[in-house]
Amino acid sequence: MLKEIYQILIGFLSILKGLGVTWKNIFRKPVTMEYPLDKPVMTAKHRGLVDLIPDKCIACLQCSKICPTAALVVSGIMNPETKKRAPDKFVYNTELCCFCGLCEEICPTSALFMNKCYEIACYQHADLTPIDLLRSNKYQHLTSPRTRERKK
Amino acid sequence: MDYEELIINMGPQHPSTHGVLYLELKLDGEIVVDCRPNIGYLHRSIEKIAENRTFVQFMPFTDRLDYLASMNNNLGFCLTMEKLLQIEAPARAQYLRVIMAELNRVASHLFAVSTFAQDLGAYATPLFYALRDREKIVQIFDQICGQRLTYNYMRIGGVSADIPVGVDQLIRDFIIYERQMMAEYDDLLTNNVIFRARSKMIGVLSKESAIDHGVTGPNLRASGFKWDLRKDEPYLMYDQFDFNVPVGKNGDSWDRYNVRMLEIMESLKIIEQALNGLPEGDPVAKINKAYRPTGEIYVRTENPRGELGFYVVGDGNPFPYRLKIRAPSFSNLSVLTSLIRGLNISDAVCVLGSLDVVMGEIDR
Repeated sequence: MLKEIYQILIGFLSILKGLGVTWKNIFRKPVTMEYPLDKPVMTAKHRGLVDLIPDKCIACLQCSKICPTAALVVSGIMNPETKKRAPDKFVYNTELCCFCGLCEEICPTSALFMNKCYEIACYQHADLTPIDLLRSNKYQHLTSPRTRERKK
Repeated sequence: MDYEELIINMGPQHPSTHGVLYLELKLDGEIVVDCRPNIGYLHRSIEKIAENRTFVQFMPFTDRLDYLASMNNNLGFCLTMEKLLQIEAPARAQYLRVIMAELNRVASHLFAVSTFAQDLGAYATPLFYALRDREKIVQIFDQICGQRLTYNYMRIGGVSADIPVGVDQLIRDFIIYERQMMAEYDDLLTNNVIFRARSKMIGVLSKESAIDHGVTGPNLRASGFKWDLRKDEPYLMYDQFDFNVPVGKNGDSWDRYNVRMLEIMESLKIIEQALNGLPEGDPVAKINKAYRPTGEIYVRTENPRGELGFYVVGDGNPFPYRLKIRAPSFSNLSVLTSLIRGLNISDAVCVLGSLDVVMGEIDR
C-alpha cells in the first residue's frame, strides 16, 4: 500500500517536471508563421521550377540527357546567319520533374536555372503538363491569384 | 474456457505504423497471438529503375529510399561507386560528407524518438518539439543544397557544392542549441517515471536473436552488442574523430530509445570536431564523368537505422547491370513478430515505434 502511494507520488512529480518544460515553451518565441499572410523567403540555392533564359541557350541537349525522369524535351537548330545553335523546342513537364537540380548543374551557359517558385499546386491537370519554356508568360497560371474556377 | 481469435487489420493507414505498413494481428482478448507484417505498399521498383539510369542519374532516387536520412543514402551510394571506380573524394568533401551525414542522423533520431513517445501516448508535445529542432537542420540543408527533404547533395567524387559563407556558424549555433534542448527532452521523457515504466522490459530482443535476424544499427546496439561500422570498419574520416558507441543493456524498448538519445549527443560531438578540422580545398574531384565500370562491389555504411549496403554490378555500360540495396529497416522489421507475440496490443505499438522502421526503404 505504502509502496503504491510512493509510486503515484513519484509519477506525479515527474509529470510536474514535464509540465515545467512545456510551461517554459509557452514563453518562447513562436516558430510557426501564418503562411498565406507572411511568406517564407527562399534560400539562394532553392530548387523550384525549372526556368530558362532562351537567349543564352545553345541547345547542347545536355539537360535533357541528364534528366533522370525525362522531364525535359529539347531540340535545337543552327541559325544560318549567326552560326549558333538555338533551341526551337524546349518543353518542361512539371508532372515528371523530381526537382533534383542535375540540369541546372550541368548547363554550360547557365541558361537553365531553377527559380524560387514553390507554390506549384494547380487546380487543373492541364496546368502541370508540358510547359513551353520559350514562351514569355510560361508560369502565369501559377503566379496569378487563386481565383480560378474549378472545372466541373 | 473456449475462445475465438480475433483478427485485426492494423494499417496500412494507421498513425503508428510509420508509413504504409499493414499488420495482420491475431488477438486473444487484448493479447497478440500472432502478427504478420504485410509490406509492399510503397514499392516503386527503385532497383529496377537503377538498371535503366546512368550512375549520375540514379543519385536522386537514393534520396527516396530512407526519406528521413537522405544524406546517408547519398553517401552510401557515393562510397560504393567510388570504390568501384577506384577514385577518392578530396579531403574537404569527405569532411563535408561527415558533417551532413551526422546532421541527418540527428534529424532522423529526433524524429524516431519523438514518434516513439507519441506512440506511447505523449501526444504531439514531444513530436512538435522535435520537429522544431529538426526544422533548424532542414533549414541548414536548404541553404547548402537547396531542398528540405530530397537533398541530392553528394556526387560521385565529392559533393555538389561547398557550404555557403555563414552556414558553418549556423551549424555551430545549432550544436549549442541542441545540447540545451536534449536536457529538456531528458526532463520531458527520459527521466519521466511513467515513460520508463511504460517502455521498460517491453519487447526484449536478445543479443543472439538480434544477430540471427540481421538486426543492425541502434536496435542491435540496444541489445548489448557493440557494433558500429563507423568504429569497426571506418569509412570516410570516422577513424579520426573521437566518439563513443552507446550500448544498451536489456534490449528492450527503453534501451532502443535511450541508445538513440545518446547517439544524438555523440553525433553532435562528431559534427563539432569535423567543423573544427574542415580543410581548405576543392569539394569536388576532377574526374571523367563518363563512367563505364566493370566488376562488382558491395559497400556498407552506417545509416541511422543500421547497415545500408549497396551491391553494384557493372558490365562496361554507363548504367549498372544489377543494383541491390540492403535496407536495414527490412531486417529490423523481421524481428517484430517474435517480439510482440504475447504482449498487449498497446505494447505492440510501443515495440513497433521503438524499432523505427521506414517503409520507403523496406519496399524500395
